[in-house]
Amino acid sequence: MTKNKFTIALAGNANVGKSVIFNQLTGLHQHIGNWPGKTVEKAEGTLHFKGYTIDVIDLPGIYSLSTFSLEELISREYIAVERPDLIINIVDASLLERNLFFTLQLLELETPMIMALNQMDMAKRKGTKIDHEKLEKLLGIPVIPTVAVSGTGIYELLEKAIEITEKRVDMKPLKAQYGKEIEERIKKISNLVEKIQFKYPARWVAMKLLEGDKEVENEILEINSEIVATAKKLAGEIEEIHGHSCSTVITSERYEVASRIAREVQEITPPIKPPMRERIHALTTHRILGYPIMAISLLSIFFSIFTFGDYTSGLLSDVFYGLEPIFEGIFGAGIAGKLVWGGVIEGIIGGATVALPYILPFYFILYFLEDSGYLSRIAFLMDNLMHKIGLHGKAFIPVMLGFGCNVPGCLGCRIMETTRERLLTAFVVTLVPCAATTVIILGLVGRFVGVQWALALYVVDLLIIFVLGRIAFKTLPGEPTALIMEMSDYRVPHMKTVLKQTWFRLMEFIKMAFPLIIVGSLVIKLAEVINLLEPIANILSPVTVTWLGLPVITGITLIFGVIRKELTLIMLATLLGTTNFAQVMTTVQMIVFTLVAMLYIPCIATIATLVKEFGWKKALFITLFEIVFAIILGGIAFRLLMLAY
Amino acid sequence: MMELRLSDLRDGESGIINSVGVGRGRGRGDGRRAGRGWGFRKRLEDMGLTPGTKVTVVKSAPFNGPLEVYVRGSRLAIGRGMAERIFVEVKR
Repeated sequence: MTKNKFTIALAGNANVGKSVIFNQLTGLHQHIGNWPGKTVEKAEGTLHFKGYTIDVIDLPGIYSLSTFSLEELISREYIAVERPDLIINIVDASLLERNLFFTLQLLELETPMIMALNQMDMAKRKGTKIDHEKLEKLLGIPVIPTVAVSGTGIYELLEKAIEITEKRVDMKPLKAQYGKEIEERIKKISNLVEKIQFKYPARWVAMKLLEGDKEVENEILEINSEIVATAKKLAGEIEEIHGHSCSTVITSERYEVASRIAREVQEITPPIKPPMRERIHALTTHRILGYPIMAISLLSIFFSIFTFGDYTSGLLSDVFYGLEPIFEGIFGAGIAGKLVWGGVIEGIIGGATVALPYILPFYFILYFLEDSGYLSRIAFLMDNLMHKIGLHGKAFIPVMLGFGCNVPGCLGCRIMETTRERLLTAFVVTLVPCAATTVIILGLVGRFVGVQWALALYVVDLLIIFVLGRIAFKTLPGEPTALIMEMSDYRVPHMKTVLKQTWFRLMEFIKMAFPLIIVGSLVIKLAEVINLLEPIANILSPVTVTWLGLPVITGITLIFGVIRKELTLIMLATLLGTTNFAQVMTTVQMIVFTLVAMLYIPCIATIATLVKEFGWKKALFITLFEIVFAIILGGIAFRLLMLAY
Repeated sequence: MMELRLSDLRDGESGIINSVGVGRGRGRGDGRRAGRGWGFRKRLEDMGLTPGTKVTVVKSAPFNGPLEVYVRGSRLAIGRGMAERIFVEVKR
């Protein structure tokens, strides 16, 4: 039987060039979203090849199919339940042993598979020669050597994929054999499993039960608790024999098989001179020099993004606002015209003047750094500091992103392994002053009170992050995970992949943030048109005036700030009728106002991101907490500052 | 030959992994099955740090930061807390 449509899943370790292959295969026909109900990214694409329509799913980059991270769970669920017609296992030829360990696990899921032996050029440069035909024989699956960045082998890969799905070739995939004492027990359990209906292959289930895999255990318990009891007993016997836990024994033996295959097919003659990438690695992770290098790189990146963003943002809004008279000519300056312009169009302008000038270069540099390998070095250097707030080195990346914009920061929390850590990191990110907050701090306090006060506010914010992060870490139940990460070799980023990733992430941001910014602007504009703003400001006055000691109209500006934080400053200027804030506000008022604006709420786009990633309840909780916290802190600051001034 | 924690190795020193402990101290016996620490050890083992494997400490980050280790042909960063629970056999 032939069918003209089939599905391929790409699976492999992180940093093996999986996303490059995905991009080579699918071009611009891709869709990036989340796995249903999970904070794990799902990339899908479609391609047409020789009359076939092929759906390609890019599974997350993982090292194992256990239950350590959401990515691992999702990948194995997908393979077992959705049953793709074919898996392409992408393997880094220069790191064969570790990669084969994962290959063996994929084979255990008993789905048709071919291997893309990728980064052959890199392996060659590292002095590794691989006999791919021998590898093919040993594994019993087709092995295609590829160099994804130049597109080498992609065509052959697709041809082979079609051959396999049409069953034109008969392959006998390797079933890794373990020690006799283990095999006997696997057999016993899998005989029992075969009698029940279960989504995974019996042998695989038997092994997972022996390894003590919680997820599988719980699912089998519901069907037949005897199987689990038997497995536990048998696992205990293996533990007696080896003196190690059963999962240790199985993992060790699996690595042993991987290692043996790797030794048989590769020949390594390491280069004599340490290559450039090794010297760069040594320098960028140096115990002393590593830090100034990181600081200089990050600061110059931020500085150039802000300079570029500021300039482009100004340019864009000039162009947009230049259209206002033309617009008024068409729609008139009546209420309807005001609503459309002030609500819808200004919402779009607001989004566009943030997304394009700031988010775009931000994402570009992020993916550039990620692809080059530098991000993992940053995580290595910052691990210790992040541990102080109960997180590990990787969390520094989303936090760093947060300084540009909280939205990519929150989305970046996906690199953390567990849900608990994602939430903790996201909470910290929402407290980080983003570009818009920086505009307020510098534009108000920095300009009219003094740079030292602006810096002081930053320090206060960092202290708050530290203290609240620590409290959240202590209160949230669950186990902290420590850093364990591969630092893959430095490489020249693949520009096409970086650009595509930037593009699709930007689209994701626009789809999520724009509608909200527009609706938010419209609502507030409506309130303004029907003269609701002043009553609202008056209602808020016990908080703004009595508790915080601010002018009444700041109530309105803080509401605008929910849409976009820098609007607090813009609205302040509009409502006060001057940009010389020192004339209308006291020093203390400016400091307190900035402090509250800095902390009081994640903006609407950030809230939406939190909802998307963590659900309504958690998003609402974080939002409310931060509003209350900012108000309390602002009031205390007001009273303390009044004593000083 | 002596047994040390991976975190106690000097820069450039290698050892053979004896065991990966769970919880504080040398918990070879406790927590064998799923439970606290199971995920931690599984993770290390999945990354190739299984008993009998040779591991080399390349360097460590300052202020008790993570360790850079070389294992099975690849370079890993391991948090210090984790490294303290890996016991290795070293020639000294």
